[in-house]
Amino acid sequence: MQKKLDRKYFLFMLPAIIMVVALRFFPIGNAFRMGFFNWNGYSQDMEFIGLGNFKEVFGDSYFWLALRNTLIYAFGITIVKNILGLALAFFVNNKFHGRAAIRATIYLPAMISGFIMGQIMYYFYQYNGGIFNEILIGLGLEPVYWMETGLGSTIIVLLTTSFLHCGSTMLLYLAGLQNIPQELLESARLDGATNWKEKLHITIPLLQPSMITSVVLNLIASFKIYDIISSLSGGGPDGGSTSLTLLISKYYFGYNRAGYAAAIAMVFFFVIIIISVPINKWLSSKKVEY
Amino acid sequence: MENTEHKAGKKRKKFRIWIPIVCVIVFFLFIWPFYELVNMSLRDITDYSSRLTLPEVMHWENYLEVIKQSDIWIGFKNSIIYTLTTVFLEITIASMAGYSLSRGSKKTTRTVRSIQMLIIMVPGIITLVGTYSLMVKLGLTNSLIALAFLTAAGGIPSCSFIYMNFINSIPVQLDEAARIDGAGVFTTFFKVILPQLTPLTVTRAIMISIGAWNNYLLPLYLLNDSRKRTIILVIRSAFSINGGDRNIAMACATCTIGILPVVVVYLLLQKKIIASQIGSAVKG
Repeated sequence: MQKKLDRKYFLFMLPAIIMVVALRFFPIGNAFRMGFFNWNGYSQDMEFIGLGNFKEVFGDSYFWLALRNTLIYAFGITIVKNILGLALAFFVNNKFHGRAAIRATIYLPAMISGFIMGQIMYYFYQYNGGIFNEILIGLGLEPVYWMETGLGSTIIVLLTTSFLHCGSTMLLYLAGLQNIPQELLESARLDGATNWKEKLHITIPLLQPSMITSVVLNLIASFKIYDIISSLSGGGPDGGSTSLTLLISKYYFGYNRAGYAAAIAMVFFFVIIIISVPINKWLSSKKVEY
Repeated sequence: MENTEHKAGKKRKKFRIWIPIVCVIVFFLFIWPFYELVNMSLRDITDYSSRLTLPEVMHWENYLEVIKQSDIWIGFKNSIIYTLTTVFLEITIASMAGYSLSRGSKKTTRTVRSIQMLIIMVPGIITLVGTYSLMVKLGLTNSLIALAFLTAAGGIPSCSFIYMNFINSIPVQLDEAARIDGAGVFTTFFKVILPQLTPLTVTRAIMISIGAWNNYLLPLYLLNDSRKRTIILVIRSAFSINGGDRNIAMACATCTIGILPVVVVYLLLQKKIIASQIGSAVKG
């Protein structure tokens, strides 16, 4: 009876399996195969060149630059978002009038397309007439070329993204804070813990599950970052703030080098796996669910 | 006891003087980008005055001009078709899978859980590289429905597990009772279990809608027919075609109207959305 039922339950999972296999696993396999060909993405002739593309990837300075930036984005955004999110969560967790409104305001930018938010923020960093430069001029200072260097632009994109999307991290921590038993905090207060001591020694260690969830989710999301970079810096100047996602789309759709783009995509995929699998293993040893 | 509580309360009251100040700063910081967007949308083409203050003359007619163009309406129509299809596919398929994960054999659940992480990690760009040429060959570019399938597939794994967690809290006895009444597994799920989960389904539908509405990368490359553009792509072309400084105002007006549905939905349902985000974080 149970066996028959199990088979029926499996039928319920079948559409999901088909979707995921056809639209997630198959594309990975297909991209992997494409990586071994010299191909422009549309013509009939695909020339098999073995590991040629992969060899070229490792000699491509733009690849290394994009890889460096991708790692900066992934870890930088994760760190900054967690700091901002935790601070805001502590703040919003205070009981005051209008805190629901503040919470909603903080989360609002995360609800809008990253492409659009990047486009709006672009007008903040413009040299001529940019909003930040206007403030600097108003204060009697010299305007700044915000997007002058690659690393500078990368950091600007990093900080802007973290600021715009820290609302989601705040909500994660807020959930964690609301799960902390009040008696624990009260007894700490009775023992004479000050507000900061209480946060440092009691609340933050208790937030560990939220922190792990948040770090993993943010890391995964930040590896994929595309929308905001494409509109905020466009990957410029001269590819200086580009990420692997942008580089892949540039090679595929801009230069019609589908095979080469696929090879980069595969290297990218392995980088994600190499970084995520140990983290994942470590987490499952902690028995934290996310 | 009462005394200490009173003391603690008093201590914290004193501490709170800075709260309104931080509130105001945080509020203005996060509203700032939206203020600038509206500010820029109300300008004349030749208005180069400071963007910090509102323009002297508000050019509300920019908005009139935008809604007179057909582009934005085509964008809305396409976004609605794409969003609704994605929601329908993802909710139906993921809730069924969630039911199966909850009630089926635990071994399958464990296996699927270990694969789930891998699927979440795959960036959209890899999906795009792996499917693009095939979609061109099969004539599936410029198809909003095909795009919805591609989008939904990415959300199904995590959505299934959210459904699984909620279905776990529904007693199996309910299934058994339905079965004794002669209902098959299919009827049990759609007539008995799924209606219990309406609040979850509503919040999931909202979150999936916002995600699909905002989706950029896949539509950008898979929809190149201007009659098939989603609203985000309409906004993009408003910013890029006009280029330069010349038509920023019009582009910003297009952008404001384009994000309005999301902002309105969010403001109306923010309590629900935020509660669901917090809830799903706790439930896993």
